[in-house]
Amino acid sequence: MTNIVIAGYARSPFTQAGKGALARVRPDDLTAQVIRGLIERTGVDASEIEDIILGCAFPEGEQGMNVARLIGLLADLPLSVGGMTVNRFCGSSMSAIHIAMGQIQIGAGEAFICAGIESMSRVPMGGYNPLPNPELAAARPGAYMGMGQTAENVATKYQITRAEQEKFAVASQKKAAEARTAGRLADEIVPIHTKAGDVTEDGLIRADTTEEVLAGLKPAFDKEGTVTAGTASPLTDGAAAVLVTSEEFANRHGLKILARIKSVGISGCEPETMGLGPIGSSKKALERAGISAGDLDVVEINEAFASQAIACIRDLGLKDETINKDGGAIAIGHPLGATGARIVGKAAALLARDGGQYALATQCIGGGQGIATVLERA
Amino acid sequence: MMADTINKVCVIGAGVMGAGIAAQVANAGVPVLLLDIVPKDGADRDVIAKGAVAKMLKTEPAPFMSPAAAKLVETGNIEDHLDRVAECDWIVEAVVERLDIKQALYARLEELKRPGTAVSSNTSTIPLGHLVEGRSEQFRQDFLITHFFNPPRYMRLIEIVTSEHTDAGVAAKVEQFVDHRMGKRIVRAKDTPGFIANRIGTYWLAVAINAAMDQGLTVEEADQIGGRPMGVPKTGIFGLIDLVGIDLMPLLAKSLSSTLPEGDAYFDTIRPLPLIDKMIAEGFTGRKGKGGFYRLDRKPDGTKAKQAIDLKTGEYRAEKKPERLPGRAEKDLAALVAAPGKVGDYAWAVLGPVLSYAAGLVGEAADDVVAIDDAMKLGYNWKFGPFELIDRMGPGKLAERLRAEGKKVPALLETAGDRPFYRVVDGKRQYLTAGGDYADVVRAEGVVLLEDIKLRSEPLLKNGSASAWDVGDGVVAFEFTGKMNALDEQVLSLLQKTIALVKSQYKALVIYNEGSNFSAGANLGLAMFAVNIAAWGEVDKLVVAGQQAYKALKYAPFPVVAAPAGMALGGGCEILLHADAIQAHAESYIGLVETGVGLVPGWGGNGELIDRLAKSPKMPKGPMPAAMKAFETISTAQVSRSAALAKDLGYLRKDDGITMNRDRLLADAKQKALSLVEGYQPPEKPVFRLPGAAGRVAFNGAVADFAKKGVATPYDVVVAGRLANIVTGGEADIIDEVSEDQLLKLERAAFMESVKDARTQARVEHMLETGKPLRN
Repeated sequence: MTNIVIAGYARSPFTQAGKGALARVRPDDLTAQVIRGLIERTGVDASEIEDIILGCAFPEGEQGMNVARLIGLLADLPLSVGGMTVNRFCGSSMSAIHIAMGQIQIGAGEAFICAGIESMSRVPMGGYNPLPNPELAAARPGAYMGMGQTAENVATKYQITRAEQEKFAVASQKKAAEARTAGRLADEIVPIHTKAGDVTEDGLIRADTTEEVLAGLKPAFDKEGTVTAGTASPLTDGAAAVLVTSEEFANRHGLKILARIKSVGISGCEPETMGLGPIGSSKKALERAGISAGDLDVVEINEAFASQAIACIRDLGLKDETINKDGGAIAIGHPLGATGARIVGKAAALLARDGGQYALATQCIGGGQGIATVLERA
Repeated sequence: MMADTINKVCVIGAGVMGAGIAAQVANAGVPVLLLDIVPKDGADRDVIAKGAVAKMLKTEPAPFMSPAAAKLVETGNIEDHLDRVAECDWIVEAVVERLDIKQALYARLEELKRPGTAVSSNTSTIPLGHLVEGRSEQFRQDFLITHFFNPPRYMRLIEIVTSEHTDAGVAAKVEQFVDHRMGKRIVRAKDTPGFIANRIGTYWLAVAINAAMDQGLTVEEADQIGGRPMGVPKTGIFGLIDLVGIDLMPLLAKSLSSTLPEGDAYFDTIRPLPLIDKMIAEGFTGRKGKGGFYRLDRKPDGTKAKQAIDLKTGEYRAEKKPERLPGRAEKDLAALVAAPGKVGDYAWAVLGPVLSYAAGLVGEAADDVVAIDDAMKLGYNWKFGPFELIDRMGPGKLAERLRAEGKKVPALLETAGDRPFYRVVDGKRQYLTAGGDYADVVRAEGVVLLEDIKLRSEPLLKNGSASAWDVGDGVVAFEFTGKMNALDEQVLSLLQKTIALVKSQYKALVIYNEGSNFSAGANLGLAMFAVNIAAWGEVDKLVVAGQQAYKALKYAPFPVVAAPAGMALGGGCEILLHADAIQAHAESYIGLVETGVGLVPGWGGNGELIDRLAKSPKMPKGPMPAAMKAFETISTAQVSRSAALAKDLGYLRKDDGITMNRDRLLADAKQKALSLVEGYQPPEKPVFRLPGAAGRVAFNGAVADFAKKGVATPYDVVVAGRLANIVTGGEADIIDEVSEDQLLKLERAAFMESVKDARTQARVEHMLETGKPLRN
């Protein structure tokens, strides 16, 4: 087997959909800038790149028309670099990484840009023409269930109180705020040029939030429920990209290796509790890596909702101190298609920065799936 | 644009009035620079003007008609940016009411502005002559007073004062702009303290308060007598003071008494009012404060009770509804004044002095009675002006009673004798001049009002609920005439007849009326009558009649322009959607609100709205977006807060017109209709591509989420489900083309299903009884 590595990670600032500083930026332009930033920072020769594999949860409108290819053109990459758009909802750009691994393994290229994009300002969640299958909707209501409701279902099933969720959310905000203040996020952020000036920082982190503040919010999805806007990831605009290469390619070109990819896993679950997806997929990936949860030094678990993140952490037996060290999606944001690339890139960068042997990046996926990637210090 | 039009305005002073004036300029689509002083401390030197705009964005009722308008206001300060007045074609000064400050500002403006650029003050008290002291001849030529009323978006009055120095061209340019673009009706006032409306208004309030106290009336009694029967808004006198702020009273008294001529009757009203002083000192300044003459007492258990203050003790007590007014006093002003006891005594104690005072001001504050009546009607929302009130009471009777009581009879009243202040001769409304002759009431250039047309002609067609008028140039105006302009079978049948008439003898049709609201929709009371006797066939017939009449309107072989002002709801909205074009008054509040009473639009509104949305270039492609937006708008009964916002909701098309001045709406609508006459082709029938069952799953899912959140009620979910069935095309598949007739069938079925549902009937009954929606 060929060793495959993460040889670079970059992302745009993550900002609030609709009102944030990137709301007026087209998603294709946004991603093109991030990819250019990644190429400049890693020093990779763009002509050596085989393909751009781009994850996007709602690939239509400005994110449509195989936007991966268009982004390559916008980023002024050599014409020889390909582009494909993939969709696994929130797992899209993690899948992009997995696809690149497969391509490298079969000898179909050595270097791939695996990116993700979602402008939740410019393409609505659900798309412009949501047309559910009536029979499926009747037979399996969970298939089209709103994500907030699935978070409520998980909270009920795992008996996770509102207070626990709020404590978790505040911790995420504090970690993110500290990381930003300490300059630990600056390395990964590519400043984005917009008509209104450069956007250089995340726009969603709420450093001052407290459990008291969150306790005052109304339930966002169910008037009897426990999930609020404060314990859910916000609608976000953002893009992220990682450089995935064979270890041999990285060494040959003097690229800085952040981490080696050890194993991956996909696993389906009940759509009504899609937030539990990371449990099955992480177990698979850990088993394939031949390690256990206790061996993990770094965990990036997407915080679609506090309830589902807590449930997964609890069920998998993950160690608190390993979890989302620089904050998670509740604080930083969750641009659906971009999150997979962010958390794999972040986990790799944390291994490189803080040391440790193994890292796990995992996330839940609407419709009932989980996806996971185990990394190893290179 | 013509060189002599106003393309940019500077407003100096970002207080409530200045900011509100700037907002109304922006509402007209004209860029405006709003400047205020630099605060003593703070890094942002523009913060006062910026803060004023930010505050307006949160104010209700909204000063801005749309977010786009708010973007036209640029903010700055008078230290760094005053030189930019050179970019502007009109400079409005709305700074603090201090002569020295205004004069110092004008001295600077004189240096910076272009010669010929108008400068106007929004002063409400300082005479023009004082303002321009020390200024150049050029500045005096460019100067006038434009006195707006608060809030500037909603109050239709502007008082304009010019001097003998004012250049006629400069004044005309400003007048043209405030009339056509800002939508104000101009009243020309003379350069006297308080001009017209505030002078009479302040006197009126003072007289009314004093009389209530002298006669030992409760505030409720005073407002009952001094409100509706006199044509004053239902707030009455004390309610009005609560609304504008009790603390304003001493300020007005102070400023007026410092400038009014000696011997003015206003001085007689000034007396110590310990109760009011105490209320202001303790923060009971009216609705903006802790309470006023009235307040809502919120109990710890969450219930609210209306209270009123006891004028003797100053203590709040439960509101006491006074007994009904005797006999004809409610409707007949002469009967009101003649009523025995406190009703007649109080009415006379208010009307006698106030009407005399107004009569004394013709010649002094205004040229004629029309200006005074307009000022009070548009500036204080009186239904009748003082001279219209005198006519209702009888000028001779008024003079006689004044004389009998040894009071001074104003010269104008002597001149009038028994003759009315207004009469109609040869189809023209005339007013009594100070000289004792009658002169025609002259409308502003270009204004066409149905009110005037009615004086000189008979309706072409008429029944109990509607009429049709020849409004000239081959155009017919179709008018609703029922209570609240409600729509019923008679409206529909006359509409069909009108269509036939226009087809054979006229060029175009305008749907228009001069009620305070275009139409609140179908006559629910009548519909409930049919429902209560289960006359389902009758209800169904009405649905079909509406569909047929509106489609006949749509496909008529001549242009139809609908011209709403005020509310156009339900069936009143649907008729707009069937017109070739809409010319809306800027203050149009348009919505398909049927779901609020458990119904769905039944007269073609669903299809028309979807068609408009689908044809909007902004709409994404595919079967869902237009249906989805229509579903959202109708299921939540959204009503536009302005004509500009009606464009966002899709009720108005991009090319539909907006008229700022209510008086010009008919003329603009006529113009629009005539512009469509040449080569007119009725629209082609739309073909709908709708999402079918799949779309329904999406809509119903979204509604279920809203129900879970506690936003939608159980019956909302049911009604939304019926609506979803219409807007998704029923059983149609995504590849089917759905015809207009199929959609009409779907909405008719959904309407009938809804109207038979007891939960809808409960909603309708509740609405009829309380005016508020039932959330079952």
